[in-house]
Amino acid sequence: MLRLDQVSVRFGGLMALKDVSFELKGGEILGLVGPNGAGKTTLFNVISGLTRARGRTLFNDKDISALPLHKRARVGIGRTFQIPQPMKHLTVRENLTVAQVFGAGRNDPARIDEILDVMQLSEQADRDAQSGLALQELKRLEIAKALATEPKLLLLDEVLAGLESQAKRQFTGKLKELHARFGLTIVIVEHDIETISDLCSRAVVLNFGQLIADGTPAEVFRNPLVVESYTGTPHA
Amino acid sequence: MTDLILQALFSGVLIGSVYALVALGLALAFGAMRIINLAHGELVLLAAYMAYVVESRTGLDPYMAIPLALLAVCALSALLFLMIDRIREHRELNSLILTFAVGIILTNGLLLLFASDMRSTTSPMLQDAISFGNVYAMKGEVIAFAVSLVLMTILWWWLKKSWYGRAVRAVSSNRDAAMLMGISPVRTELVAFLAAGALASFAGIALYTMSVIQPAVGHGLTVKAFIVTVLAGVGSIPGVFLAALLLGVTEALTVTLASSALQELAGMVLFLLVLFLLPNGLFGARARRG
Amino acid sequence: MAASSSSSRPQMGRNAGLVLGVLVLAALPLVLGASNYLLGLFISALILAGISLAWALLGNLGGMVSFGHAAFFGVGAYASALISARLGVPVLLAIPLAGLCAALCSLAMLPALRLSGPYFALAILAYAQIFRILATEATWLTGGAAGLQRYPGLPTIFGFDLSTRTGSYVLLVLLVALCALAYVAIRRSHVGTALRAIAESEDATRVVGVNSVMLKAWMLLLSAFMTGLFGALNAHIIGFLDPDYAFSGVWSVMPIIAAIFGGYRTILGPVAGAILIYMFDQVVAKSLIAVGHQILLGILLAVMILVAPNGVLGLFKRAKGGNRHAEA
Repeated sequence: MLRLDQVSVRFGGLMALKDVSFELKGGEILGLVGPNGAGKTTLFNVISGLTRARGRTLFNDKDISALPLHKRARVGIGRTFQIPQPMKHLTVRENLTVAQVFGAGRNDPARIDEILDVMQLSEQADRDAQSGLALQELKRLEIAKALATEPKLLLLDEVLAGLESQAKRQFTGKLKELHARFGLTIVIVEHDIETISDLCSRAVVLNFGQLIADGTPAEVFRNPLVVESYTGTPHA
Repeated sequence: MTDLILQALFSGVLIGSVYALVALGLALAFGAMRIINLAHGELVLLAAYMAYVVESRTGLDPYMAIPLALLAVCALSALLFLMIDRIREHRELNSLILTFAVGIILTNGLLLLFASDMRSTTSPMLQDAISFGNVYAMKGEVIAFAVSLVLMTILWWWLKKSWYGRAVRAVSSNRDAAMLMGISPVRTELVAFLAAGALASFAGIALYTMSVIQPAVGHGLTVKAFIVTVLAGVGSIPGVFLAALLLGVTEALTVTLASSALQELAGMVLFLLVLFLLPNGLFGARARRG
Repeated sequence: MAASSSSSRPQMGRNAGLVLGVLVLAALPLVLGASNYLLGLFISALILAGISLAWALLGNLGGMVSFGHAAFFGVGAYASALISARLGVPVLLAIPLAGLCAALCSLAMLPALRLSGPYFALAILAYAQIFRILATEATWLTGGAAGLQRYPGLPTIFGFDLSTRTGSYVLLVLLVALCALAYVAIRRSHVGTALRAIAESEDATRVVGVNSVMLKAWMLLLSAFMTGLFGALNAHIIGFLDPDYAFSGVWSVMPIIAAIFGGYRTILGPVAGAILIYMFDQVVAKSLIAVGHQILLGILLAVMILVAPNGVLGLFKRAKGGNRHAEA
């Protein structure tokens, strides 16, 4: 479904990504792991179209490297931001409506209600997205927005950050539910090893912009290179 | 013909130095507060009118008006700062409109007080022409140029070495980091605004001594200062100086080679060209995207 | 205000009531037999209202603040005068064509859409200045600074003479109403919803598939078209054009004051604001301070921004009890 071919990004004198290549099959849940600054968000930016890169990005065998940002949602790539970015001046429902109309190309209020329900935002539907929501709700809105565009590929950027273990496990369960229910392929950036091992069938590791490991979570976390670059212990 | 062009170049450079002072004031305020003070040109003009008042009422040198101008303009700057600080929502937009409104107040205030007659220095000493080879300049122009250079050097030193100057630079580049270092952004913004006011005062008096003033000139000055900051891109004082000279020379050449009616047009076209073709300005790097 | 397709019954009832109320207000001057002088004032006020509406549209739906609407006004004015005079096109056709000309001119400003707030505002200002100077210099086309005079005025249709004060007034009310309706329609649509978000969260909209640049471009074209319409209509009412008048900074500044005063986030705000501000300026300010009466407007604008940035109508809303729902 997704293939990256020697993708590189340079910011001034810094190589944020260097010759990153990997392939993702439909239906997989891929964990994207690596220390801070390794280039994970940059990679997401390349796939979703916020950043231009050298190399090729192929989606369902079509080269989308030059496809502008706003067209990528239509093509089926949905994405959330680490710091939630709701559409301002609009209600929660309006956020989803815009996402659906422009990202999925149709208007289906029933579907929006369904997404609101799944993401537990039905109560908050008519609140102002920017000022009327708590952080947890904002995070759920981020995912709901992306879902409304009816993506085939969903990029989740540290959606579990700031949650404590109980909430993390609930959220992880929710993600599994979404994966099954909407038939999504997911790439998730996450630091927590337990979550990755639980949720993902596969993991890739970035360090200093380079891909240093690719395999099942178990394989990857045993890899000495990975352990060396990324210190993390399973949380209780 | 070459003589005409040389004269245009020369005059352009001289007036350009005053544009540089005006532009630096605008840039200082923008850097610190991230808002564009659309009343800046009017502040300059206010100083110019103070010079007029001093000269016409007392017969003294317009330069004697400097203390008065500094006082008036800096007081107004502080007032303006307080008003802008009060704005809570849609800060960028609302402060733009607020300063725009203040500009209207000042322009019309000056119109009420002084009518729309054109004024210029009557001092014979300043109007004396000095020749540099085949080109001429009024004494007033040359003094203004020299003073501009001195002020720019002082500004450069202040920004680099003095505590408040460095604070202004810190707040301009990274507000949050500056706060963490114990710099009070609010106080620093005020200092930047006052410094901008000081520059505006000197620019105004210089303007009176070398050119003609009218209430309508204020608005045009703001626009020119803005054009200069766009031409220069971010950051360096020398960059702003050169960009201002470029504007002055372009205007002068247009007047000489085409017609004086197109003078304003030249600056505008230059502005748009740079805006669209060289988004980083001529000398600097700045992301101008929203 | 809940967006999109379905309005609830009470909402529709309220809207109908509002429209009726406005129409009644509009008919009052005619019914009460206002003098030609007073009608003339209203006509000028309504021209301003139209531009204010167009300005507010651009600012509200897309977040683009323009300091140079005079450019569109002037282009519309000259285009209509020239099209009807030189090409013999009937005036009522020339006016919308002139609007199109103004819209075409705004195409030149499309690159400015990439720019953030103040840069956009000033780029537009630069365009306005350029158009003014071009109009002055292109004497062969526009008659230059001497002005343009010999072009047709408003015609008589169905026995109703539009060139009288009454006729012009009615036409103007209709045009403002039409523009207001168009504004409402867009704002209620999905495009309008997206545009409301674009002003301050453009990236968030682009990520979900909104072609924000194209939407903003359409709003610029529409705002230019509307302003051009009113510039054209004004030209035929006044009967004389010169560059300093047609491209005067007043056409850029007054709409801003009017829209901010009335509350530029609403539809009624710019219109009400324009009428109030214009009347205030002509009747009160001018008689208090003959030259430089704009100072009062400047003071008013400054006070508004500090005290009530959402305009007079915004003050009403706040008094009635808070904004739980997202502002339109």
